[in-house]
Amino acid sequence: MSATESQPDASYLLRKLHSLTGILPVGAFLAEHFWSNSAALVSADKYNQTSAELQTIPFRIFVEWAFIFLPMLFHGGYGVWIWLRGKSNVSQYPWVKNWLYTAQRYTGLIAFVYIGWHLYTERFLTQGRSTYASVEQDLQNPLFLTFFAIGILASSFHLGVGIWNFLCKWGLAATVRAQRAAGQLGVLVGVTFSVVGILILISFRFDWHPFASYINK
Amino acid sequence: MAEAAAGKKVIVKVKRQATPKEAAHWEEFALNWRPSMNVIICLRDIAENPVTSDGKPTTPITYDSNCLEEICGSCAMLINGRARMACSALVDSLEQPIRIEPLTKFPVVRDLSVDRQFMFESLKRVKAWIPIDGTYDLGEGPRMSPEVQEKGYPLSNCITCGNCLEVCPQVNDHNGFMGAAIFSQVRLFNMHPTGKMHAAERLKAAMGHGGIEDCANAQNCVKACPKGIPLTESLAEVNREAWRQALFGWLVG
Repeated sequence: MSATESQPDASYLLRKLHSLTGILPVGAFLAEHFWSNSAALVSADKYNQTSAELQTIPFRIFVEWAFIFLPMLFHGGYGVWIWLRGKSNVSQYPWVKNWLYTAQRYTGLIAFVYIGWHLYTERFLTQGRSTYASVEQDLQNPLFLTFFAIGILASSFHLGVGIWNFLCKWGLAATVRAQRAAGQLGVLVGVTFSVVGILILISFRFDWHPFASYINK
Repeated sequence: MAEAAAGKKVIVKVKRQATPKEAAHWEEFALNWRPSMNVIICLRDIAENPVTSDGKPTTPITYDSNCLEEICGSCAMLINGRARMACSALVDSLEQPIRIEPLTKFPVVRDLSVDRQFMFESLKRVKAWIPIDGTYDLGEGPRMSPEVQEKGYPLSNCITCGNCLEVCPQVNDHNGFMGAAIFSQVRLFNMHPTGKMHAAERLKAAMGHGGIEDCANAQNCVKACPKGIPLTESLAEVNREAWRQALFGWLVG
């Protein structure tokens, strides 16, 4: 290690952008995605309606690439680069936040691989026209179901820890007390997303629509 | 006490290397237990009688230490795998054999003595001082409020021991990350009423190579700090000031 003269560093902006894209738009999209897919908890029709609505948004290709695919590719790709530049020492210092540091890297990679596969099977193979029936059919395959569950849990965990990281790293939660509160918010988001995600899976797998009664009113 | 202690041994294993390039090897020592022994006393006892536990004569162990009360910051080393100050590492609270190794994030000079120049260079890069000298008498600086004094005092306790760098997963050979202690000093000098006058320069350095963005929030630093410095608060605050400077510096100066 040697100290060099201080000069503006491009990696500063890239790191900041990495941190920001994790929340906006990637984290926000995850929230939207779980929200839209929750339509399955009401009924297959509601799901198809919601899905059709999204499939016909104006500027769809542009919106998808600018706000979903490219930010995810950057966040995931640069995230791997960051991982390679760190050296986990959790076996030597098994402290909770150090575990989170390591877990954040593994869950990030799992989520990245999962999302790539998920996009391929549910977005590109279906030509962007997936329906309740097509998703339901996919989830009859136990391997699909397992990978979906792993992907949902990894993404939710990664977002939860990411929110805490983001608030600390941007100095929005600077004091010890604020950082603790940010951590609690992260736990809340991680757990909520995990539960909702798994409920959606159960809905598709077992044709279970707990909010079906909303329709008949 | 003396009778009870008779014959009680302290087993110490030390990782040694005679020169910076040489491969390291371990030596074991069996020392006579005494009350209130700490790791520095063990190293002194070895220097008095440098013979390994299997009776082979060896050289005294090279190590840095000075104040023996966690004030000078020189005796940081790995004790049973953890970075800490040797002077406050009490033998009775340690599992035996006690394994003693040099810090791994700094180049070894000899045995347990490491070269912490990287930290001093980093402190220079972020201008961790307050310029008060001029070609003429600059007069008195602004008064410091008690609030700022109270916030600054804990930060001024930093002893540059290097423990926060040692335990940080982001401080390594691929990464020039300067480490928590450095950014805590940026915070200290940027909150000082006179130091503030150079706040932008320090923040720019903090955004340079090995800067604050390499922090990945593992938060080991704050757990390892022997002085209880709120390092994670310092990192968060300097981070916030840095992006504000990056975003608005060119707009509002």
